[in-house]
Amino acid sequence: MPARVWREAMTAASLSLPVKPASMLTRRLAVAVTVASFACLPLSLIWASPSTLWLRAMVLALVAVLVFTVLERWPRRLPNALARWALQVGGLALAVPVTTFAIYLFSTADGAPPFWTQSERASGFFLLSLAGMLVAPWTALAALVRQKDALARHQALAFDLERSELARQALDARLHLMQAQVAPHFLFNTLANVQALVDVGSPHAPAVLRSLTAYLRAAVPQLHEGGTTLGQEVELVRAYLELMHMRMPDRLRFSMHLDESLAGAHCPAMTLLTLVENAVRHGIDPGEDGGTIDISIERHGTRCLARVSDTGVGVQQGGVPGTGLATLRERLALTFAGAAQLRLTARHPHGVCAEVEFPVQDTAS
Amino acid sequence: MNPPTALIADDEPLLRDALARQLAQAWPELRVVAQARNGREAIEAFEALGPDICFLDVHMPGISGVEAASRIGRRAQLVFVTAYDQYAVQAFAQGALDYLVKPVEMARLTDTVARLQERRRAALPVTQTEALLQQLAAQLRKDAPPRPLSWVYAQVGPALRLIPAQSIDYLRSDTKYTAVAWRGDDGLPAEALVRTPLKELLAQLDADHFVQVHRAVAVNLRAVSHITRCGNETATIHLKHRAEALPVSRTFLHLFRQM
Repeated sequence: MPARVWREAMTAASLSLPVKPASMLTRRLAVAVTVASFACLPLSLIWASPSTLWLRAMVLALVAVLVFTVLERWPRRLPNALARWALQVGGLALAVPVTTFAIYLFSTADGAPPFWTQSERASGFFLLSLAGMLVAPWTALAALVRQKDALARHQALAFDLERSELARQALDARLHLMQAQVAPHFLFNTLANVQALVDVGSPHAPAVLRSLTAYLRAAVPQLHEGGTTLGQEVELVRAYLELMHMRMPDRLRFSMHLDESLAGAHCPAMTLLTLVENAVRHGIDPGEDGGTIDISIERHGTRCLARVSDTGVGVQQGGVPGTGLATLRERLALTFAGAAQLRLTARHPHGVCAEVEFPVQDTAS
Repeated sequence: MNPPTALIADDEPLLRDALARQLAQAWPELRVVAQARNGREAIEAFEALGPDICFLDVHMPGISGVEAASRIGRRAQLVFVTAYDQYAVQAFAQGALDYLVKPVEMARLTDTVARLQERRRAALPVTQTEALLQQLAAQLRKDAPPRPLSWVYAQVGPALRLIPAQSIDYLRSDTKYTAVAWRGDDGLPAEALVRTPLKELLAQLDADHFVQVHRAVAVNLRAVSHITRCGNETATIHLKHRAEALPVSRTFLHLFRQM
């Protein structure tokens, strides 16, 4: 578990921070040291002591990285006229001669005359400053360009990641819908009931068979995805509830109300059925006394509100509605892009009220 | 020998009647003395009437058929009836228990009746043992393994709401309650209260997504934007959709340590 947690946390973290600060600093130092070493090569031909030259160049490189990094963050707010990159490059150009001056000042032996009065040391100071001022700002510019590049690449990557995540969710939702929705337990129990009706020559048998057929046609994996109309969805739910009522006549009561003006409205397949199946499976079936399911579908302005409330056993923390509702949420989010809502509330003294709200989109028919 | 008596327990009335009819055909002498609608009624009817044979539907509201059977034990011959319970059927077959599959076929019922009559004639002891039945009942309960919570039951204003776990950003312990910071379908941040203590709630949530980062805070990793290190071995978690930052205490910092 910890490994996975770590990995996910780091992925999450890396989305906003392309490179970790510590490794960034190491990389900058390495670049500065390399560049400074190369800059030393031509100078060392005319320098009296190449090792002193290299040491001074290293001090310059360190200070340059320090100035560059500090000015990257500080000061927090800049006047509009001053761009951050200009401050960094300008700051470097200024820092190099100042630092060189300081190096020469401090490396002057006690009692010796000031370095600018000695021609050899003075020319050394000028050469080193000049080389530093030539090399450092250009290196800084190159670093800035690379950094911007990396940020753009990183953002593109994050965007791709997000897009593929969305695509995966869409695929998942479709797969879930296509996976058998018909529980074998439900099917065989219902068939046993139909068999019982047929055996005794019950006049109800044909109607029950029709309900079963209607239910199966809708619930068996559908290869064509997409929606139905609320009118069709209500008929499907009616078929399902009539089957369940045949099976538990003493435990299940139901009522349905559909605003007729919504019958032609678009509705993602199985939306209402998922809520009703959930109410039966988790509310009515587990209780010895069963309960009532009330279904109402109303228009609220430009939105449709479908409510399925039951007086069943309700949910306890832990014994909570199954995956059906979770996938319904996903499907609604994909179909209505966030404009749909699924709410579950507890009812008193027991039972659950499930509500789905989404914009009304009339189908062309 | 007295005529044999039987009890039929099934929550579906049509199926109780159908089995009674089929039994009348397959075993005319058998008297069905009681029909029960659930496990509790089955046990009550058994204690009152003491039938020789009990036909018990496995899936019944309240007390299941297997649980009822383990209460009845060896005092009756038991026959389980099920529509489709893969694991139960396997277990019945392995335990040499009698079972019927719905819709009940006449041929299969005739076989079962013959076996019951045989045992009755030879006065053989009842095959099932309590131990086996209890084991089976426990196993059937286990068939629904405790999955991580996909919804959390919480108080939002005056209403009790079910909040999808995936839309929770973080949980914060609040003396007796746990505050749930989540986002509604409109994407706006909201807060709710759960009566369950943080630790208990966290144990029921998907451990791959919810981790404790502080004595009083657990975060949904999917809601994390980035993490900044602070001094003194602590860190701060910044969230994708919320302004507030969450503390990571020293004890939990190892979760976010880089390699």
